[in-house]
This record gives sequence, C-alpha cells and structure tokens, in this order.
Amino acid sequence: MSMKSSRRKFLKKAASAVTGTLVFPYIIPSSSLGLGGETPPSEKILMGVIGTGSQGMSNMRSFMRLKDQVRFVALCDVDAKRLEAAKAVVDKVNRSNDCRIYGDFREFLEKEKLDAVLIAIPDHWHGIIYTAAANKKLDVYGEKPICRTINDGKVIVQAVKKNGIIWQTGSWQRSEANFHRGAELVINGRIGKVKYIEVGLPDGVRGIGTPPVQEVPEGLDWEMWLGPALKVPYRGVCHWNWRWILDYSGGQLTDWAGHHVDIANWGTGLEYTGPVEIEGTGFYPYDGIYNAPVEYDITCKFANGIIMRIANASRLPKGMGTVWYGDLGWIHVDRGNRISASDPKILEETIGENEIHLYKSTDHFQNFIDCVRTRKEAIAPIEPAYRAISTALLGEIAMTTGQKIYWDPEKEEIIGNPNASRLLGRPYRKPWTLPEV
Amino acid sequence: MKRVLNILLIISIILLIFTDCKKSPHYRALIITGQNSTDWVASTPVLKQILEKTGIFECSILISPTPGGEWDKFRPAWDKYNLVVLNYNGEKWPETIRNGFISYVNNGGGVLVYHSASIAFPDWKEYNEICGISGWDNRSEKDGPYIYFRGNRMVLDSSAGPAGWHGEPREFEVRIRNTEHPVTRGLPVRWMHAKDLLYARLRGPAKNMEVLATAYCDTTGGGTGRDEPVMMAITYGKGRVFHTTLGFPGDGTSPALQCAGFITTLQRGAEWAASGKVTQPVPRDFPTVSGVVLRTEMKPITLKEEIENLAKYEIGMSTRYYTGLQDRIKKAAGDPDKLLEIEKMMVKLLENDKATIESKKLVLRELSWMGTDYCIPTIKKLQENAELKDEVDFALERLGVK
Repeated sequence: MSMKSSRRKFLKKAASAVTGTLVFPYIIPSSSLGLGGETPPSEKILMGVIGTGSQGMSNMRSFMRLKDQVRFVALCDVDAKRLEAAKAVVDKVNRSNDCRIYGDFREFLEKEKLDAVLIAIPDHWHGIIYTAAANKKLDVYGEKPICRTINDGKVIVQAVKKNGIIWQTGSWQRSEANFHRGAELVINGRIGKVKYIEVGLPDGVRGIGTPPVQEVPEGLDWEMWLGPALKVPYRGVCHWNWRWILDYSGGQLTDWAGHHVDIANWGTGLEYTGPVEIEGTGFYPYDGIYNAPVEYDITCKFANGIIMRIANASRLPKGMGTVWYGDLGWIHVDRGNRISASDPKILEETIGENEIHLYKSTDHFQNFIDCVRTRKEAIAPIEPAYRAISTALLGEIAMTTGQKIYWDPEKEEIIGNPNASRLLGRPYRKPWTLPEV
Repeated sequence: MKRVLNILLIISIILLIFTDCKKSPHYRALIITGQNSTDWVASTPVLKQILEKTGIFECSILISPTPGGEWDKFRPAWDKYNLVVLNYNGEKWPETIRNGFISYVNNGGGVLVYHSASIAFPDWKEYNEICGISGWDNRSEKDGPYIYFRGNRMVLDSSAGPAGWHGEPREFEVRIRNTEHPVTRGLPVRWMHAKDLLYARLRGPAKNMEVLATAYCDTTGGGTGRDEPVMMAITYGKGRVFHTTLGFPGDGTSPALQCAGFITTLQRGAEWAASGKVTQPVPRDFPTVSGVVLRTEMKPITLKEEIENLAKYEIGMSTRYYTGLQDRIKKAAGDPDKLLEIEKMMVKLLENDKATIESKKLVLRELSWMGTDYCIPTIKKLQENAELKDEVDFALERLGVK
C-alpha cells in the first residue's frame, strides 16, 4: 500500500468520525471537517494545480476560501511568469515559500505526493493530462469541457472509473440553488412530460484577422503549450483566446455545453446517455486566425423522443440558459440566480419526501473536498460531463460534415458514416499519445 | 468534316443560349430616382447591378425631372413592374403619379425603400405608411412614435422630438430580430456591416410593419444608445414593402454597398417584396459577427478556380477559398461522386509543386476526414516533405493508414 492511499484512508476515517453514517443527500459543514481552530497540516487536503491561468487561479482562490481544509503545495504551468505569480499567491497564504513549481506536468505528477489536483488547461490537453492524473490516483477537480474529442472523453471516463478517483467537473452551476431547483422541479414532472429543451450558449466573438508571427514571450514554453496539437508559429494567441481556434477548442459551443447542456440533462435524467440523431448548421468566420463557429444551431433527438436544440443565444427566443418545455409549461434557468416559469406557481411547488431529490450541494469546491474525504461521488461526476460535451461535439461533427449524424449512445459510436466517425478523434502530434488506462 | 464542325458549333450555341435562358429574369424592377439628398447618380447603377446579379430581376431606371422640371414626361408604367425601387427624395410627385403609385402598391406591387428614400414626402400620409418609419424634413411626434428595440421587444415611444439622426459612418453590428421571415431566415443573427451611416431616431406610423433587423447606435456624438431599426417588412394593401435604411452610397464606392450582408439582404428583400417568397440561398460569404465581408466582385467561382486560388494561400491571407472548399464539401455530403470530384482537385493541389505549403496543410486537414483511398498514395508521397510531416501524419492516422 502506498503512502498516499493510507493517507487517504486516514482522511476518510477523520471524515466518518465527524459525520457518522453518511446518508444521501449529505452536506458536511466545513466546520465539522475543520475540527475547529487551526487544522494541523497533516489533516489538510494536499493539492496541486496544473494550469495557473485565469480559470486555474480563480478555482484555486475558491479552494483557499475554505480555510484550513486545503493546502496547495505544488503548481505546474508552461508559462513561467504565470507560475511565479501563482506561487506568490500560494506562498502568501501558506506563510512559507516552499510551494514547488514545475513546467512539465509529467515531472509534477512523478514527483508530487498529493491528495488532489486542480486542472485548468486548454481543451486539447485534457485527454493526456486528465488520464495521467487519474492514473496517478489523484482526485481531480477538472475544468469543463472535459474533452476536445469524444475519443479523448471515452478514455478519460475509463481512467477516472478504473482508478476509483473522486472527480469533480468545474460545472459549478450544479451547486447553485436556481439550477438545482429548476432541474428538480422538471425531473419531478412539475411541467409535465418534457418534450423539448432549448439551450442557449454565448454568441461567437469578433475576429482579429491573422496577427503576424511573433517572438514567443519569455517564459512561455510554446512547444509544450501546443503539445499534441499541430505545430504552428506563435502569433500572440495563447492564453484564454485559444478557445476560438478549432485545434484547441470548439468555440463557445464546447466551452459552454458543459454548463447549460449538463443542466438540461440533469433535469431530464439524460445524464448517462446521449442523443441518437444530431443535425446542425454553423456559421464560421470567413477570415483570420479564429475559426470556431460564431453561430451554431444544433438539434438533437434522444431515444425517449426529447428534442434538444443547442444554439448561440441570439438565435433563441429566451436567449442564454436552459429552458425545459413540458406539456404543462416551461422552466427557464440561467446564471445570475435566474429561474422563471410559464406559471410562477410552478416555482412554489414543494418536492415530496418520496419524490426525486437531486444531489444537493451549495458550494462546488466544498463538495469536492468533502467527497475527497468521504469517498462519495461528487455532484458533477465524470460521465455526465462527458455526455454533455459529447452532445456538443456530435453537433460539431454534424456542422463539419453537413450531415445528419446517427449516434449509438450505448456503444458510443456513429452509425453508418465512416467519414464522420473519423472526426470522433484528433490525431496527436508526435511524440504525444494518450496514456494507457 | 467542316460540316460536322459547323453542326457542333450550332449545337453548342444553342446549348449556350439554353443554359443562359435558365437564369432568365422572373421579375421586372423599376428604379425611380433623379432627386436625392444622397448621390443617386452613384448609387443607382450599383442597385441595378446588385438586383440583376440575382438572375431573377431585370431592372429599368426611371429618372425624374430635375427640381422645377417638366413632370408631364415622368410617367412610370406601374403595371409593367413587380418591384419599384425607391431611390428618390426630392420634389413632391404630381398627384396622378402619387395616385398611380398607391394603387400599384394596393394592388400587390412590391416596393423596395432604399436608404434615404424614406425621407421623401413628409406630408404624404400614404407614402409614410408604406415606408413605416422615416426621419428628417420636420417630422416629429405628429408623424408617429419612435421605433426602437429594448431587449427583445419593439418599443413604440410617443415622446416628443424630432425624427432622424445619424453620426459619422462606421462599421456596426446588425442584429436580426425575426429569424423566421423569408428575408432573414437562415442568416447569421449577428453580423458586421461595413462602414455606413446608421439612421437613428426614426419615427412614423409603423402600421403593419415588422422590424427584421436592428443595429445599436452608440452614444458617440449624441447617438441614441438604442437598438435602431435598419430593415423593415411592411404590408400595405396587397403590396409588400422591404425597407432598408442601410447603404449610404458616398460616391458609389462606399464599403456599405460592397458589404456582402447589405447586398444579400437587398437581394432577398427585393425578391420577397416582388413575390412574397425568397428562393435565393444564403451565400457562403455572408458576414458574421467575426468581421465585415466586402464583395468587390460578386461572380461565383468554380471548383477549379477555388483550388487555384487556395493553392496561393499563405498565412495572413484571406481564408475564403478554404472556407469555400469546406462549404463545397458540406454541400456535396452524401454524394460520393461529387465528393470524389472535389477530392481529385484537392489531390491535384497536393501534387502541384507551385502550391504553397500552407495550402497543402489545409487540404490535408480536410482530406483527413473526407478523403478516400484515392488520396492516400499522394499523401504518402508527401511524407518525405519535412515541412508537411505533422499534417501528413495527422491525415494518415485519421484515414486509418498504418
């Protein structure tokens, strides 16, 4: 038995001691885990970060907010400047300067003995790094979308399951009251039988043309940033704006499907399946380096007959968010704690004891930490995240091929279309390969 | 032998005539102009060209007398036309002309109100109803409410104030407000329009009027900070009116008139006004929010030309021939013969020593998913080319070649 897994057992024991028998649903108050006062370092969850960009830093601060429960001890990024800035933040909180830094995730994973890792990196890296982290039996808080391609996603899901790690997707909307409430009302039939769902995601962004080739900024390991993606010279588009380029992301569509499509699935019990037919059209930029669709309109059908339309918000009557349409009314949820319904009375309904109670979390980060201790499944586990993004990725394939795609959600295969099937994956540039699970 | 050649020549001429006939115009349009606060001499031939490019319009131009001129000779033959394009604001027409126009519209004639034409005839009630909204020439609350959008809703604002305002020409984003109308169906809902004058503070009777698109007028220089209507569909009697405020002509070379979005919506609006339907497909160069698309020449190009142009591609140049190729592939979906025809041309590009490395990279990406066995030998040969190594590996792996 490795040192790490015995440490995990210790953490679990500590959690059970304070919470007694764990019943679903459960919320463990942070104070009960914190044992009051300053927690000895040995009982804190030791965490590392891969990807200290804007999302990584934001997530890290959210974990730091949970005082005394987490200690960040190691950071990894391909951009030395960002790494230094992140280390300064960590060292200040830790009141020490021993936070270790790495430029290569392989070394990070090899050397560090951690409980959990927070990963916030561009999508084209997800397949390799998520799988490698799971293989190291680290619990992972990983950003959505969990994969750039469906083939990557299948491997990640397998790696998470086989290694028995706790996985939390950064689809934090699940831990927000309005989304939970909307989904719970819908799944308990308060708008009747759901027939149609509309999911509004952001419109695309304005183009920037093609900036000239320029010198790679000091400290940025461009070759490593590209990793498995095709080699291109540096043109100043890297952090954040990678998401408008198809080699790294699918644009707003894939950036956001992990949120509002996930919520749509949550409210209709479609979390562990996928659509059977997918059609879509996209409008792609006509010029310039950004090539992800700026508008997209995808319609898919599930085996139970539910039709889901996913489009950029300006194309939809209710704009952003998830709208479930049932035969008795509709419910619309969106960010900013928004929830509305065809009849306001629907929103006042109570959910009876014997009805379906969806997993409740009021703090996405706390939920992850709790689950790391208790070894219970987190609120945003891997497979629903994979199913949400694969719906969008199938839409991307429909838009690329100009064809209606038939999908077998059980076998996870495209039916009868070898050309479209090739788009389920993106070959990796040598020497990169997906790790074996 | 000479006889055979002659016969062949005759046959080919006949074929040529027939293929030409296939596109013969369905609708006759009359552009009325001659007095305008914008340069009608410059804009009129452009409007004619844009409408005739559709292949379904044949346009005549009717020029009014100069101010104070002899109106007796100005006699539009209303009944001959399916569409009247208004590019006029000036002296008030004589009563007979006015009555003729109203009965033309009442009886189902189509009207296209272009840019500054709506400003005409402030005291002619029916004309203002046909235009829906307008500005300038002492129009005010007496002429109807201000029309603009707040969020997703059209606002009819009856507050007092003058009508008509514009700032300096600039690029702005057009937002489609009705995605189901024949004119706007299938278009991107947000797109960048080339440098143009954006009309604001328009007001009018707005009867039977639907706003199809708006544009945000920022507050620079006293702008309204509102989403101002830029395209309207109006019904009047049995007639249909398409009103666009876009298209400031300048001296006729204004980017507004070259904008693929302006051209397309004008063409679609004209067809709808003339017939009630739109048969024109959305062109593949229709702009999106990503940026303005200028159409300096509007000729559709062949696959061969597309490949030839793509072969010159270097990074930083327009990617239009690549996106064009991608669109061709999408359109050919499910037709293996057509796809193979495209694939063969793509392979020719790969084999062409003069084609740029960058163009080959793009072609390899496409072939990686839609290629057949046909392309594989050529791609394998490219393995020796160090500059293409990654893309060749990418393509071969996806194509399932070990």
